[in-house]
Amino acid sequence: MKLYLTLILLLPLLGAVTNALVGRKLPRRLVETIACGAVWGSFAAVVGALALYSSTPVTVELASWLSDFNFKAPITLYLDPLSLSLTLMITFVCGLIHLYAVAYMADDPGYVRFFVLLNLFVCAMLVLVLAENLPLLYLGWEGVGFCSYALIGFWYKETKNADAGRKAFITTRIGDTALGIAIIWLFQLFGTVSITELNRMGFLVPAGVVTTLGILFLIGAMGKSAQVPLMVWLPDAMAGPTPVSALIHAATMVTAGVYLLARMLPLIGGSGTALAAIAITGGVTAFFGASCALAQRDLKRVLAYSTISQIGYMVLGVGAGAVTAATFHLLVHAFFKALLFLGAGCVITALHHEQDIFRMGGLRDRPAIFYPFLTGALCLAGVPLTGGFFSKDSILAAVWEKGGALYGGLYGVGLATAVITSLYTFRLLYLVFAGEPYAPPFEKGGTGGISASADKQIPLNPPFTKGEAIRSLPRLMELPLIPLALLGLGGGLLNLPAFLGHGLLTDLLTPVTGPVHHPAAGTELLLQGAATIACLAGFLVARVRYAGTARQSRISEATREPSGLTAFLLHGWYVDHLYRALIIRPYERLAGFLWQRVDEGIIDDSLDRFADLLGRTGQGLGRWTSGRVSVYLLSLAAGAALLVGYLAWGLP
Amino acid sequence: MMAGYPLLTILVFLPLTGVLCLLPLWQRQEWTRRIALLFGLADLTLAGWLTLAAGSARLLPGNSPPGFFLFEDLPWIGRLGARYTLGLDGISLLMVLLTAFVTLVGMVVSWNAIRERSALHYALLLVMESGIMGVFLALDLFLFYLFWEVMLIPMFFLIGIWGHGRRVYSAIKFFLYTLAGSLLMLLAIIGIYLLHGSQTGQYTFGLMSLTGTAIPAQAGIWLFAAFLLAFAIKFPLFPLHTWLPDAHTDAPTAGSVILAGLLLKTGAYGLIRFGYPLFPDAAKTLTPLLTGVAVIGILYASWVAFAQTDMKRLVAYSSVGHMGFVALGIAAWTPVALSGAVMQMVNHGVTTAALFALVGMLDERSGTREVAAYGGLWGKVPLLSGLFLLFAMASAGLPGLNNFVGEFLILTGTFRVQPLAAVLAFLGIVLPLAYTVKLLQEVLFQHERRPLALPDLSLREGTILTVMALIDLYLGLHPKPLLDLLNVPVALLTGLTGGAP
Repeated sequence: MKLYLTLILLLPLLGAVTNALVGRKLPRRLVETIACGAVWGSFAAVVGALALYSSTPVTVELASWLSDFNFKAPITLYLDPLSLSLTLMITFVCGLIHLYAVAYMADDPGYVRFFVLLNLFVCAMLVLVLAENLPLLYLGWEGVGFCSYALIGFWYKETKNADAGRKAFITTRIGDTALGIAIIWLFQLFGTVSITELNRMGFLVPAGVVTTLGILFLIGAMGKSAQVPLMVWLPDAMAGPTPVSALIHAATMVTAGVYLLARMLPLIGGSGTALAAIAITGGVTAFFGASCALAQRDLKRVLAYSTISQIGYMVLGVGAGAVTAATFHLLVHAFFKALLFLGAGCVITALHHEQDIFRMGGLRDRPAIFYPFLTGALCLAGVPLTGGFFSKDSILAAVWEKGGALYGGLYGVGLATAVITSLYTFRLLYLVFAGEPYAPPFEKGGTGGISASADKQIPLNPPFTKGEAIRSLPRLMELPLIPLALLGLGGGLLNLPAFLGHGLLTDLLTPVTGPVHHPAAGTELLLQGAATIACLAGFLVARVRYAGTARQSRISEATREPSGLTAFLLHGWYVDHLYRALIIRPYERLAGFLWQRVDEGIIDDSLDRFADLLGRTGQGLGRWTSGRVSVYLLSLAAGAALLVGYLAWGLP
Repeated sequence: MMAGYPLLTILVFLPLTGVLCLLPLWQRQEWTRRIALLFGLADLTLAGWLTLAAGSARLLPGNSPPGFFLFEDLPWIGRLGARYTLGLDGISLLMVLLTAFVTLVGMVVSWNAIRERSALHYALLLVMESGIMGVFLALDLFLFYLFWEVMLIPMFFLIGIWGHGRRVYSAIKFFLYTLAGSLLMLLAIIGIYLLHGSQTGQYTFGLMSLTGTAIPAQAGIWLFAAFLLAFAIKFPLFPLHTWLPDAHTDAPTAGSVILAGLLLKTGAYGLIRFGYPLFPDAAKTLTPLLTGVAVIGILYASWVAFAQTDMKRLVAYSSVGHMGFVALGIAAWTPVALSGAVMQMVNHGVTTAALFALVGMLDERSGTREVAAYGGLWGKVPLLSGLFLLFAMASAGLPGLNNFVGEFLILTGTFRVQPLAAVLAFLGIVLPLAYTVKLLQEVLFQHERRPLALPDLSLREGTILTVMALIDLYLGLHPKPLLDLLNVPVALLTGLTGGAP
């Protein structure tokens, strides 16, 4: 087992190191082979570990890391059903995306750097998931943050891409700070940073402390998982290459927050307040993301906001104490969202790097793209019997079962979000795949956010005409979609509701979560009926607004400057503007002020003046020794007078 | 096995011997720099060997005090009671190793940059190395003070002769600042010397004897404050830091490297070795002050760094922020925080020296340190850019690289005694990231802003930076050997002032 666990981490790391050191000298094919081989090798090691795994969690200490007096944070891995299922998903999805990236990056000269960072990311993500202690988790946590930063700004020549990377790094680090504080506080409280030990000791401290810790973890999760109010970085992160969006900003890294909360739930679950805060954050984020996705014009931005929204569901699930449901949705979402992003990459490449959905159309006659994308979209919309339907439903069911005004309200929010989700998903489908291939009369760029600048390393073709328009794609870009589509579609089988049969995932995760409470079959059916109606409602609205002739009028409308609600949603509720005005600008201004006025002005200047004063006093004193006898005599007399006076009155 | 030789004396005076060897070849630039490098290497080899030997416990202490691997004690100025006492424990060992290494870096980076009076330049570097070694090894306050002043003078000349811009102003500012502090410290040294003498009749400057002195509370505060002031200026702590940006900006690259890598550490070291052990009660009283200026320094300096347009000034302000963490760890005085602080001294020494070296290399190539002059270096000079990114990330505290280890241990150790300060300082780790990624973006990424002819790193530059990068990685991933070295001295020190382990 130790061997397998070592290999899981070591292979991607070795891949990254090899390519970083000698990649520039190797033939391209070999670099790609090393990168993909490393990840698939890691996947094979996970499968090996799975085969060896027998009901009891495994802890393996590989090496020492931080070790100072009683503070011990070794490189120790912990394999339990939760980390096992995530590891399996991560290596598998990463493997597919690596293959896809080989084709996607075929024209890019920076492929060595790309694959190095991608491999490094896989390694950091696996460290995060497998870490047995919190500092090690933090190592992975910051490591994925760095890779995300470097990959968002991969095409670094564009200021906008570099800005997006920087924004992501700083925003997520704000959350990381909270996580860090939680770690050092936990060490102070319990004298250990081991996750398994901490999870057994939550009852030892007052509820208020647990609540605060829970909220610190939540803030950490908000950063990495793009939850309100730290979600602003994710839409901009779409500036990175599409495989990166699929891998980091949809399937794996952004769900790290959910994983963290699920992992620490035995500790923080002791506080109802913390759980409520988590649930509210999730619910609000789910609604926020879905509403913004409604108005986006950039294909990747629609998906980005939908990711925010879907992670909101997962966080809501954790807030309802349903780790299994959250994990279920995490896994299924990873499949179908990676699928959607890879599909989007195909669409964008086929349309010569067009990202504006209002300039797309007619792609349904490309079955290799259309059917996988459709599958992903059906999962996202929660169409009954798809994986997305079951996983989303299991979260909503858990929220419903929790009862009470708060969770009841959150169930309502979740259901409303489901309607919106279905609506924006079908809007996307109609705009991208229905109608005729569209040759736009207006210039590129529009108001769709990043559309003008993303993916622009390759020079843009002029607006194309019908027929010759659609580029054919390499097989390697289309093939990875198929297994993802199957997994997304059949994902429900992973964890069927109790009344339909056996919940595979539930069984697997029971040692982690404890016995799971299943809603009664009747309730379950009722809830699923509600979810079906929600999905159908969204579909119908989308059909009315975007199908057939309505589609064309929507497209003509889109040429106008957005206003009112559309603009509000398009700009993500203007949160970016708010932060810019309230935080970033003042910070920048004050930095200049502190430097010019305070540091050089007050502190340094006062010293210069002091020095000046000393100098002038010295000169003044110097003038005294002028060599004129009269001055000396006068000084002598004055001195003598002072001395006599002192002796006469001072010493009675 | 080699305990019979005066190893510490050799360590201190080997560089000075090097100066003597430079004299006959004073006019031959080719030879002087090679000889200087040779002596630098020899000292580093000795320091490295000592580290290995200490790690494997081959240096068995004979008559040395607890915690010390090596100890040399000879009578010196009998009438004053000043003795020639040198001692090497885990803390000074790391500092000695750092000194030998960073001095070598200073020599390598000035290899081609210094063309005028190069013999004098290398001689000054060697004198400074001797002085700094002495500071880190002296256990007699008189001797310590002597070395403390010795290391000051070469830096004054380095800035004044080979500097840029307002170099004379900066050199004098640096000199006066430090001198003001150290003169006060001298008074305090004499104060405790007289106090101890009048109590016991035995007039001595020996640290081991003086630590037991019973000091009246009021006097203790004043004496400690004088020490603290001298060390705080060297640190430098807010608001005594304004000499540093000027000194760094106008210093030649080697000057910046040694200033950031070594001279700043002497302040922290002095506080750990002398300030706290000599005046434990006064230190306890003034700890809130130290904690306060440390936290303010971390936040304030990182904030000011964000606005900088000169790369050297930016790194200089970042230094103030990072040294604030060291001050915080010392103020907490718990085992974990204190060993973290010493780790951080090493980490900051290597990482910041590397950053200054890189900025110096850019300056050497294109004659400007303005951030606005650069851009898009990534595609042009991949090796330099890659290393720049690595050191910048280390400086921003990315886990897996060295600075994180020190900072995290400091914060962990501080939280126990000063939770609020630890939380504020933790919030402070966002700010370094903000200025770091801004710098990276404007220098490495985006488009080239001015056509600059920039060759990538030469073999000489690449080698020294790669070694530094490997150190950063090693300390970030496997800091245990170093932390183990610190275990005993830190436990002794923190036990001394009553902090529980």
